[in-house]
Amino acid sequence: MPSHRSWAEPWKVKMVEHLRMTTREERERVVAEAGFNTFLLPSQYVYIDLLTDSGTSAMSDRQWAGLLQGDEAYAGSMNFYHLENAVRTYYGYKHLIPTHQGRGAEHILSQLCIKDGQVVPGNMYFTTTKVHQELAGGRFADVIIDEAHDPNSEHPFKGNVDLAKLERLIRERGAKNIAYLSLETNVNMAGGQPCSMENIKATCALCHTHGISVYLDATRAVENAYFIRQREPGYANRSLAEILREICDQTDGATMSAKKDALVNIGGFLAVNDPELAERARNMVVIYEGLHTYGGLAGRDMEAMAIGIEESVHLDHMHARIGQVEYLGEQLMDAGVPIVRPIGGHGVFLDAASFLPHIPREQFPSQALAAALYVESGVRAMERGAVSAGRDHDTGKNIFPKLELVRLTIPRRVYTQAHMDVTAESVIALYQQREKIIGLTFTHEPEYLRFFQARFKPVQGDRVLLD
Amino acid sequence: MKTIIEPFRIKVVEPIRMTTRDEREDILQRADFNLFRIHADDVLIDLLTDSGTGAMSSLQWAGVMKGDESYAGARSWYALEESVRELTGFEHILPTHQGRASERILFELVGGPGLVVPNNNHFDTTRANIEHSGATAVDLVIGEGRDPRSRHPFKGNVDVAALERLIDERGRDAIPLVMITVTNNSGGGQPVSLENIRAVRAVCDRHRLPLFLDACRFAENAWFIKKREPGQSSRPVRDIVREMFGLCDGATISAKKDGLVNMGGLLLLRDPDLVRRADELLILTEGFLTYGGLSGRDLEAMAQGFREVVDEDYLHYRIRSTEYLGERLLRAGVQIVEPPGGHAIYIDAMAFAPHIPRERFPGQALAVALYRHAGIRACEIGSVMFGTGGNTPPMELVRLAIPRRVYTQSHIDYVIEAIEQVFAARDSLRGLEIVEEPPSLRHFTARFRETG
Repeated sequence: MPSHRSWAEPWKVKMVEHLRMTTREERERVVAEAGFNTFLLPSQYVYIDLLTDSGTSAMSDRQWAGLLQGDEAYAGSMNFYHLENAVRTYYGYKHLIPTHQGRGAEHILSQLCIKDGQVVPGNMYFTTTKVHQELAGGRFADVIIDEAHDPNSEHPFKGNVDLAKLERLIRERGAKNIAYLSLETNVNMAGGQPCSMENIKATCALCHTHGISVYLDATRAVENAYFIRQREPGYANRSLAEILREICDQTDGATMSAKKDALVNIGGFLAVNDPELAERARNMVVIYEGLHTYGGLAGRDMEAMAIGIEESVHLDHMHARIGQVEYLGEQLMDAGVPIVRPIGGHGVFLDAASFLPHIPREQFPSQALAAALYVESGVRAMERGAVSAGRDHDTGKNIFPKLELVRLTIPRRVYTQAHMDVTAESVIALYQQREKIIGLTFTHEPEYLRFFQARFKPVQGDRVLLD
Repeated sequence: MKTIIEPFRIKVVEPIRMTTRDEREDILQRADFNLFRIHADDVLIDLLTDSGTGAMSSLQWAGVMKGDESYAGARSWYALEESVRELTGFEHILPTHQGRASERILFELVGGPGLVVPNNNHFDTTRANIEHSGATAVDLVIGEGRDPRSRHPFKGNVDVAALERLIDERGRDAIPLVMITVTNNSGGGQPVSLENIRAVRAVCDRHRLPLFLDACRFAENAWFIKKREPGQSSRPVRDIVREMFGLCDGATISAKKDGLVNMGGLLLLRDPDLVRRADELLILTEGFLTYGGLSGRDLEAMAQGFREVVDEDYLHYRIRSTEYLGERLLRAGVQIVEPPGGHAIYIDAMAFAPHIPRERFPGQALAVALYRHAGIRACEIGSVMFGTGGNTPPMELVRLAIPRRVYTQSHIDYVIEAIEQVFAARDSLRGLEIVEEPPSLRHFTARFRETG
């Protein structure tokens, strides 16, 4: 598509799915039944679902055709070879081990590569990644640049690793006590913020000098590649496929949730270059996931993934994708709503601490904001603040991360510009009556990954949003 | 009537590729005589497994289109929950990406060093998950279940006296739960009677032990109960299924068999404390409670599959067509595990090729010969799969597993003809030796060479 301020989509709609409108009374009842946790809302009561961009994309007609070409043979399915070929072509790793989704790959990598007591540095934590590292005996150490923790910093690459922090960590702990570096592209918890190619190269070089491997969390690596092309000198004329390969070529392997960039509803993989590690991973995948030529996926889902990977690196696609997210973010910024800047790749992150200064952190402003947004408009968002951060492994105290956010995550190719307008209007309307939002307190708190199933109640009364 | 009519017509077809004998010779060489290493599109009739290889119905495909891919609270999840509740009576249903994940979660919670888990026969992934937790997996199938010639109608039954002895010897505290696999896969797809499940339940009640089903092929088992067990012939299969699940405290299910889907599994539980702990493990390793690592469309297809599988016309067709293959092989003089099981026919490879010693893998030799002669892929279940660490499995078998609703009677007639021809020339079968093997689960990746 030509150059442009327009972000018009490079496709037209082929199949639609009906949505249901609800009344405010209905939503007040439903959110209370769900314990004020948007994860516990039945999707039939949700109007615009911005809970996550994971697995919620619309597939293309080519991908649907791929579903019908699923070869469901237990061993040697041709869809596996198509997927292997796509991963080798676009990500460049030699050995592919498919898994049913990203956390399956994280589980295997953590079990194989972390020894008890080792440290796993990374550019900000991610919820499931961190738990897998801890269960394997490791401890996560944050080495992201300080700007990442400041929602108002306009740094173009807030996902970057702070090389000084990393070097200090290596010096203090010793290289042999570091399992590997976990490098996330388009860092989710920082607001979908990219790493620069320069930083990726320097980070990998530093690790490799010390004999430390680098494993990429490649979940949103293509979105990261788009930002490199937009923002980093020397990349404006490179294709996304070339930039993606250059990122991957610096690293030793990757875990991938294909439910994001790769435009599928289910699927993931572990990909590595070391043949011996690949062999161990194949022996493990058969126990936890499935035989190494299907990894717990139907043949059709591997086919859809192979096609989705190829579609994900098209510049027009990514231009429309990121353009839509920016369109929503800019409307909110124009209205003075505090959001994380620059606008990220997969969503707009509301700065709940600034949005709701009257709610103390102990009353989980992000959780309250997500619940209130649902009551106001039927838009479902996700808490990404203290509830997600959980408790400190050693002290058992609540962790209060610097970022207290609500994520409006945009599924790929699903919602229209009008849906974005409704979302912006709803958030702005809520911002104008923000003092009517009430803080929350736990009524049920699970031990691991508490944000999924926790239940809350308002600290006073029984409503999260007053009239 | 002699004809087995399918209670469906065909809506979508998938072309299969013919190969020449020369091509297959070359493919075998390149795959180092391991059929798991062959690309699926080089196979004419694929009888490697009945797991995940079934054909879905038009209603299931419509479900695929209807799939609600919401991360949390998807409509498709509630559809599955309702379907499985209605079928089994269980309140707490956890979706998993496939059966082995259900097993892993269960045994991570109840397994542990020093514990013993009895079963009629543990399936290989069940055994692996139990042993991985440090516990011991014990097989307590009745004596007839170990005799390939016995025509006992319920060769999957648990030896109840042996179960009592085990509990006496080890003490109830060493036994986290008692399991029954229906149908008994490792024992040849043989069913378990309702009477036997009730008897095991009574033992469990006496010792306050939970009873779990490995229920992958629950509907096929229920059909055998209806056909063979006194007093059951007039009951609807749905009723029998409901009673089977009603007798137990939990179940692991790979929906890739009787769920009639290509991917999916379930863990059913009653104990609320166990449910809470299982939920946490599910989220960590599989996915959120309302999708468990499956797409919405897979949940929808499963909901419909569990409704279709208890259709009695379907079960009649299913079991009768497996039996047809078995009868024709027996008539040709080929020894199989008798009576024919529900999902597969197991050929006795030692009887088929007595000139090949066990250390030269007669099962593998037969599987290779079937591929070489006719492009048929079967699965060795003998010394290659189980003969590691000094073990000698009781039998050398080749399993012809029948995918559900995929092959027609003319495909099966082709298989019969091919096996008859290989049988006529059985003296020319050649043994194999292993050139290279991985430390575990060698049958998937080992490389072989033909000998003398």
